[in-house]
Amino acid sequence: MSATTATTPTAKSRKNALRRRNTLLGWSFILPNFIGFALITMVPIVALFYISFTDWNAFGNAGWVGFENYADLFGNRNFRIALVNTFYYAIPHILLTGVISLALAVLLNRKMRGIAFFRTAAFFPYITSIVAIAIVWNLLFSPDYGPINQILGVFGVDNPPGWTTSADWSMPAVIIVGTWREMGYYMLLFLAGLQTIPHELYEAATLDGAGKWKQFLHITWPGLRPTTFFIMVMLTIGSFKVFDLILVMTDGGPGTSTLVISQYIYQQGIENNKFGYSSAAAVVLFFICLAVTLVQFAVNRRNER
Amino acid sequence: MKRNYWAVPVAAALALGLTACGGTTDADTTGGDDATTSSDAGSGDVTLTMSGWSLATTPEFQTLVDGFESENPGVTIEIKEYDPNEYENLMLTDMTSGQAPDIITIKQAKFTYQWAEGGQLYDVSDIVSGLSSDVSGAGSYEVDGVNYAVPYRQDSWFLFYNKDLFDQAGVEAPTKAWTWDEYTGIAQQLTTNLAAAGSTAKGAYLHSWQSTVQGFANAQADADIFAGDYGYMKPFYDYNITLQQAGAQESYGNVTTNKLTYQAQFGKQSAAMMLMGSWYAATLLSQQASGDADSFTWGIAPAPQVDGTTLEKPITFGDPTGMAIYAKIDDAKLEAAQDFLAYIASEKAATSLVEIGIMPSSFSDSVSDAYFAQDGMPTDDLTKFAVGTRETRPENPVGETIMEVQSVLGIAHTSIMSESSGVDEALALAGEDVLNENW
Repeated sequence: MSATTATTPTAKSRKNALRRRNTLLGWSFILPNFIGFALITMVPIVALFYISFTDWNAFGNAGWVGFENYADLFGNRNFRIALVNTFYYAIPHILLTGVISLALAVLLNRKMRGIAFFRTAAFFPYITSIVAIAIVWNLLFSPDYGPINQILGVFGVDNPPGWTTSADWSMPAVIIVGTWREMGYYMLLFLAGLQTIPHELYEAATLDGAGKWKQFLHITWPGLRPTTFFIMVMLTIGSFKVFDLILVMTDGGPGTSTLVISQYIYQQGIENNKFGYSSAAAVVLFFICLAVTLVQFAVNRRNER
Repeated sequence: MKRNYWAVPVAAALALGLTACGGTTDADTTGGDDATTSSDAGSGDVTLTMSGWSLATTPEFQTLVDGFESENPGVTIEIKEYDPNEYENLMLTDMTSGQAPDIITIKQAKFTYQWAEGGQLYDVSDIVSGLSSDVSGAGSYEVDGVNYAVPYRQDSWFLFYNKDLFDQAGVEAPTKAWTWDEYTGIAQQLTTNLAAAGSTAKGAYLHSWQSTVQGFANAQADADIFAGDYGYMKPFYDYNITLQQAGAQESYGNVTTNKLTYQAQFGKQSAAMMLMGSWYAATLLSQQASGDADSFTWGIAPAPQVDGTTLEKPITFGDPTGMAIYAKIDDAKLEAAQDFLAYIASEKAATSLVEIGIMPSSFSDSVSDAYFAQDGMPTDDLTKFAVGTRETRPENPVGETIMEVQSVLGIAHTSIMSESSGVDEALALAGEDVLNENW
């Protein structure tokens, strides 16, 4: 064996130095983001858990109160309403957004004239200011002057809904706007997923005589499983954390008809300075999101088997 | 060339050291965006910082500062501008980080309790005890017998009415003898008559704020807002539900979904009457001058009363706007800050405030004369009576839970006015929430 093929100690140490250098280089790339994440996200999360066991009100020291905040929380009627309303918003919103964005993606996953326009149109609400969206939709929903109720009137609806000014209809109105706003974003993710499914599979299925529905059921749907899983996790967490849309559209009202946990946290913490109590509500929301996500992971794992 | 690698850290360390030294010797410890060197031992000059908002459109801060500085040449006051929509949140952040300005303007009186109990405000009882008897509103800043702020303006709610629309409808202008029954009846009559005369204007406009109903109820029903029994609000809601169901006032739903502004509703003559705070007089005068509002003759009447017993001195509501001293103010600046607080409630300050359309906390006869000398301000007897003869009760009585109670009552207001639930049901629920502390 020649000396050139053997790894000399010098070459080995040079290789180690190179590896060390690459490792350091890698760390230098991720470190700024990691430090930012640790300081801006991790530290506040840890602090949140601690504060939830105190009576901190922004001024003075935070006194330890144990589980008192949690006991107060579940004994509070408005928190329970917010909890129910959060599920009332999240479940229909997740289902509607998931189904509509998938349908849109399948519809727009083809070569046709003006397809870019339709894709952009569907995505546009997602990048539009949420305040502008809320104002325009509120105008559309206006009970007496809004075009929606005027159109319903043309179709013979004598007693149209009060939408955002009615306790019964305010949440459906918010769900409609939330779905309309987010469907474009998830459509884009589904579209990306659809591009990864080999076209040959559809050609083979067509040759075998499979119709569009069967192709969807046996090729598209299984092919989209990783994308669907990712979308459902993101959509679920986003839905349970809904805040800005409701704040600007209805501010939780009328009454408490659209009060959700995020807004309750904001009210108690920012408006009433009860940071300990509102942190407890935030911890509850954290565990709800965690539990739902873990269930999704478990279901996904079972489906993969 | 030899590089001095050590120069940068050493320079930085020196700079930090100097800053630290400066921090200990300078009297100013308030920092913030407008941190200033506050006390110059050699000259005796003092620089105070003060909070304000929307400085371009809210000249009252500069007016007070200019007036005080002209009398006190050694004192400079720098105004730190805050976002008006996030004012209390930003102030809380500044307070907790020890960065609040020396003079804290109290935008909403209901925050006084929280800030005072949090140890953020300096005791100004001595200044308040020395104020003229013409000054009103100081009680809104009193917590456990201690005064924490001095009011410089005291807004009150009145009935603004459009004389031209009354004439067009052939309805007699308001009198000081109006009760809510009369107000409700005349609003409907106005709407009917105006429609018959070809106008689309409604008899009245009620803005969406909870105070437009609850403010009057709390003031005129002589009730305890903390007691958890809100049955006294029922008649006040009944009047307004009657009006919106009769189409004599825009519905709450249309007001909120269409984001109607009260300035446009009254200024563009969409309503013949509007209950609103005294600040609107200055807005209307300026909007009529600029053309943003139509040109029409208007006047001010006292807010309608529950019955005839209070007609000679009508009861209305309103909160003062005041200024407090930050508890962590430097000793070297304290005296100047106290002098400034005494100045803002003086007759001189009041006269300068009425010249820019503000209703000051000190409303003596001479200040009243200056108020009515404003160009375009109505000077009829009823307007003079309404502005000059009134008992203004606080919208937010001082109390530990005032923020939470108002929040619960806000929920009841949206439920009732949107007609999502009945008046009795919503008020009973609010009472239950207050008693059980369901905030």
